[in-house]
Amino acid sequence: MKGALVLLSLGLLLTVRVSAQELDPGKLLKPPTDTWPTFNGDYTGRRFSSLTQINKENVGSLSLAWAFQAHATGMQSMPLEVNGVLYIAGGNQGWAVDARTGRQIWHFARPGMAVSGGNKGFAMWHDRLFLTTPDAQLLCLQAKDGKMLWQIQIADPALKAFGGVAPLVIRDHIIVGTSGDTADLPGFLESIDPTTGKIEWRWDAMPKPDDTVAWNSWPHDTDVVTRGGGMTWITGTYDPQLNLLYWGTGNPHPVEAGDARLGANLYTCAIVALNPDTGKLVWYFQSSPHDTHDWDTVMTPVLFDGTFKGKPRKMLAQANKNGLFFVLDRTNGKALISEAFVPANWVQGFDDRGQPIPRRDKEPQPDGVLVTGGVGTNWQAPSYNPETGLFYVNSRETMGVFYLTMPGKSAEGWAGRDFFLGSKSMLKAIDVQTGKIRWTANTEGRGGQFGILSTAGHLVFTADMSGNLVALDASTGKVLWHMYPGGSLGTGPMTYELDGRQYVVYPVDGVIYAFALPGH
Amino acid sequence: MKKSALILLAILSSVMVLAAQQGAQPPARAGASEAAAQAAAAERGRALFKQNCAACHADDATGGRGPDLIRSSLVRHDKGGDLIGPVVTGGRADKGMPPFPLADSQVADLVAFVQAQITLFDLHTRFGPYPNDIPAERLATGTVEAGKAYFEGPGGCTKCHSVTGDLAGIAKKYNPPDLEVRFLYPSGSPTTAVVTLPSGKKFEGTLLLNDGFYVAINGKDGWYHSWPRSAVKVEVTDPLAAHAELLQKYTDADMHNLFTYLVTLK
Repeated sequence: MKGALVLLSLGLLLTVRVSAQELDPGKLLKPPTDTWPTFNGDYTGRRFSSLTQINKENVGSLSLAWAFQAHATGMQSMPLEVNGVLYIAGGNQGWAVDARTGRQIWHFARPGMAVSGGNKGFAMWHDRLFLTTPDAQLLCLQAKDGKMLWQIQIADPALKAFGGVAPLVIRDHIIVGTSGDTADLPGFLESIDPTTGKIEWRWDAMPKPDDTVAWNSWPHDTDVVTRGGGMTWITGTYDPQLNLLYWGTGNPHPVEAGDARLGANLYTCAIVALNPDTGKLVWYFQSSPHDTHDWDTVMTPVLFDGTFKGKPRKMLAQANKNGLFFVLDRTNGKALISEAFVPANWVQGFDDRGQPIPRRDKEPQPDGVLVTGGVGTNWQAPSYNPETGLFYVNSRETMGVFYLTMPGKSAEGWAGRDFFLGSKSMLKAIDVQTGKIRWTANTEGRGGQFGILSTAGHLVFTADMSGNLVALDASTGKVLWHMYPGGSLGTGPMTYELDGRQYVVYPVDGVIYAFALPGH
Repeated sequence: MKKSALILLAILSSVMVLAAQQGAQPPARAGASEAAAQAAAAERGRALFKQNCAACHADDATGGRGPDLIRSSLVRHDKGGDLIGPVVTGGRADKGMPPFPLADSQVADLVAFVQAQITLFDLHTRFGPYPNDIPAERLATGTVEAGKAYFEGPGGCTKCHSVTGDLAGIAKKYNPPDLEVRFLYPSGSPTTAVVTLPSGKKFEGTLLLNDGFYVAINGKDGWYHSWPRSAVKVEVTDPLAAHAELLQKYTDADMHNLFTYLVTLK
């Protein structure tokens, strides 16, 4: 009761403070309905909307409401929707678009900069937008007109670091990570002050000597621990009650040369739980100890509560690039489920925490080695639907051939070559109580990996492997609606309701499509 | 040493081939000779580096007692020696590096070598051209006899292929990793389909689309055809079906043996 009162007064305070067009921070704490205020729609990463206007009975009549031409290529941006405005990020640019009409409000472009690049999206804090760029800068824009307020360098592009991640806003912290795999460089997360651009804390994916277990997971006869890896290139999730930030880290460096870095190589290829006020690590779960196949663990750590084997649990689920599906207790990082969702021949077993134990003979070899499991899925977001208890993921079964091209301890960068042969892509619905696949959608075709949205309208929105946008029955995977958009879905769909009308938005190459029911 | 130079040349030539293939302006003679000059400078730089720098930075510039130069921020930000030059000639007393009183042209050669090394390391990526020159000896770690036995026995390869027919001289056609990847799964071979209309009329051709909603083929008549999927009967023939099946069965030893055998087909 007291808690409720505090929450209520907090809500009142915020309502007073926020002007009509600003993002109300309280929106980040609720499932997305009239607002899609962050990369994943809300902090849980479920990409589940409680909207039901578009549902399995009527989705067959879904039609185009409007389309916005960004005239840009390679777009991977998840639009935000706040107070009737869509904010869409590009490599060195951004757009504000009327979420009702598809008409452009403003366009921001950095003068003299290339305009392509796979930016994943904006973050928004009150009246400000945040964007990471191909030259590894963080930009702060004014949301009302796209004017740039400041920029800071977050990593060194000369070492092939680049930006792209959609930052995550937690209260007054902008949490931002970085990308890059060509040259060795260490990954990190930083918390940035949204008003000044000052760094508040930095968490390094590479351990310090006093962090004994992690430090000892690297050899120290070379300086390989300083080169690390552990890129933080996809947006994490957040539990406000536990005050824990969950983020996935990328592969170690050198990427495919395991002999150069014997050991588990913490904190690469791990889900880490951090205190967002201090950047201190609370727990970690390493999904690919001593990875040698580029199996980043950046796929969304999806948060949900419920009972597991009769016991109430706060859970975290992730479908990993390495072909394994994990459900963890998110209070402590212990695995409740570790189960392959595609064949994964690189695993010889699991340790007592549920972390896989890799097979040494499936590390890349000078004469090549056949490896299954990756790329089981990729960064494009999955979805968890609390009503069906199903975790939806676009999966891929493929045979990888991995060659080590730089043997020895002085290997750097990628240090290998890999080919993926005979890929078969399909959408899988995984039961989070068992880790077993409940159904597989008949979406075979050219292949591709696309993001997913699920809704209380008993629907799953994604694209199929032939490039059609599709809506499926959330319980059976039956296709109920489809449309070929003339291009490729660069990220996943999102949804919002405005003036009593529900829109489903699909970014396809340089076009943003908004679908709605006719007559609304 | 010689091998590295060859690799560098291979990179340069493949980059130029790529540029030509992409329909870019044919590289001007000046561009080609500039690249050759750059490669020559890098080779002179290699000798200088070995003589003056390798004791601390290693022959390949990956560091030892001194820092790794491949992933040095200073080196990577260098433009024409503007950052490297002063460090070489002035030394770094605070870090125990003595000055090396080299001429400007020698510094330029050193810079060319270090930049070439960076390019070499950066090209070891999934997409870079470099590892395509993996020599056949490195991949041929099986035995010809075991490969032949697999080819004629459990692999079932002779059902479709003959080493004196379609596969004669196959090892001459592809570079070693391409040969291996292609025998594992020769992507690009088109799937074909026979589409039967309600009238009984049949169309045959290369399958372009079969997404559950529509089927489309490039017909033997040279024309494109499409139909609603529900209106027709479709029989699909995937010429790679046997490869896809085998791909799941190979052990690493099978792969090495088969390669060792196939690479003899010259």
